[in-house]
Amino acid sequence: MTNLDHGKFTRVTTVFHSLLALDVFALFFTGYAIMFNDELWWLLLVMGGNEGVAGVHRIAGFGLLWLITFWAVLTLVTSTGRGNIRAVLPNRGDVDAFVQDVQYALGRRDERHPNARQFAGGTADEVPLLSYVGKGVVAIFTVELFLLTVSGLLIWSKTGVMQLFATKAAAAAFVTFHGLLGVIMLMGVMFHVFEHGFHPAFYPVELKAFVPRSMTPEAHADGGEEGTGIERLDLSPSWNWAANLMGALTVIGIVSVLVGSIFDEGYPVPRELTVGGGPTNLLLDVGINVGVLVLFVGLVLSMYGNVLRLRWEQEVESEGRATATDGGAVDDD
Amino acid sequence: MSESELPEVDGYGRSAVVGAAVVGFVVAAVAVWLAARSAVFYEEMFRIAPTVAGGGVGTDWVVGNTITGLDFLIALTHAADVIMGLFVLFLFFVHWSIFRQLASRMRQPAMADGGDLAEGGERP
Repeated sequence: MTNLDHGKFTRVTTVFHSLLALDVFALFFTGYAIMFNDELWWLLLVMGGNEGVAGVHRIAGFGLLWLITFWAVLTLVTSTGRGNIRAVLPNRGDVDAFVQDVQYALGRRDERHPNARQFAGGTADEVPLLSYVGKGVVAIFTVELFLLTVSGLLIWSKTGVMQLFATKAAAAAFVTFHGLLGVIMLMGVMFHVFEHGFHPAFYPVELKAFVPRSMTPEAHADGGEEGTGIERLDLSPSWNWAANLMGALTVIGIVSVLVGSIFDEGYPVPRELTVGGGPTNLLLDVGINVGVLVLFVGLVLSMYGNVLRLRWEQEVESEGRATATDGGAVDDD
Repeated sequence: MSESELPEVDGYGRSAVVGAAVVGFVVAAVAVWLAARSAVFYEEMFRIAPTVAGGGVGTDWVVGNTITGLDFLIALTHAADVIMGLFVLFLFFVHWSIFRQLASRMRQPAMADGGDLAEGGERP
């Protein structure tokens, strides 16, 4: 068994996830090149310079509007979509799963709660469509993307909000609001990259989001033991240092963008025009660049997940018979 | 992999996917068109009456910087950033710890060649 566990998502969902990830990364790399411009001056140049970066951001913003409206419509008009609404709403079990995860982290529990499980082993029934973290991600991203889209449209051409408030300063306020809102998602995505790239059973990428469920086994034939059977998996030799390094980078990245967001103000509009608005600080420079590096790793892993999916598709096609190579459960039924 | 392992599952229907994609495009296009149509380069606005007393540009900045609602909105977002940031960090450390414990239960890479890593089976 390698890091292919059970699939849960349809092909449309996996493709949507990859497109959304690409689009959101493009928005991050352009948007935060603007907001953290004194730390990410090089990224500002890479993403189109002073003039081009906002244009690229708007193109990606249009893509985001298209994607989220597509998903909202699909969720409402199809029975599959409507059926999934209940599956993504947090319930009592998710609260229990969170509490149990904290206890597990402290060494007071032997297993994670079923609603927290990322690795199922056994059969696909043993993992939910989304873990409690996944549900939280969906809930927070829904609110965030809605607010970011609305505020983004308001500052698309800033004259609208200026007219509404009869002042230019209102545009600056909404730009600031837009940038600060995205920081929550920025930090969440860094965690998301670690959570799904550095789980020891799935390292370097959890394929659940990339290989649709129609192509993954419903059960592992070598199951049957108590729990998930994770004891039978081989830990990758590089996991230890890779997870520690990435863990450290993620913490530095999250803390730095958080601190940066407190300093990088645009409203009230300062009396003196200070580019970036905050103090220049070498530590913050390094930290915020580390955050961007973490996001870049996420982008690469997202691409890598799709490469693995392509390989898996070829394997399933070429070996439609009873045997599987290292990618799947060896199952001679 | 045998065929029986690849279950038939109900996915999204083709027409629904295409329909949703078209609606998404139309909504995105109309929203962006509405947002962009009033575009006047903003530096060209509010050009007349140059003094604060005259209700000119200066007044605009002075008044604009004291809109309580916007100030509050931004303060609220700052607070949300900090609270959510601390929560994300907490969740991150919980998962880091969990992943380390799960990894210790897996078969260690050094086991094959008699390395000195602890056996993977037991939790303290």
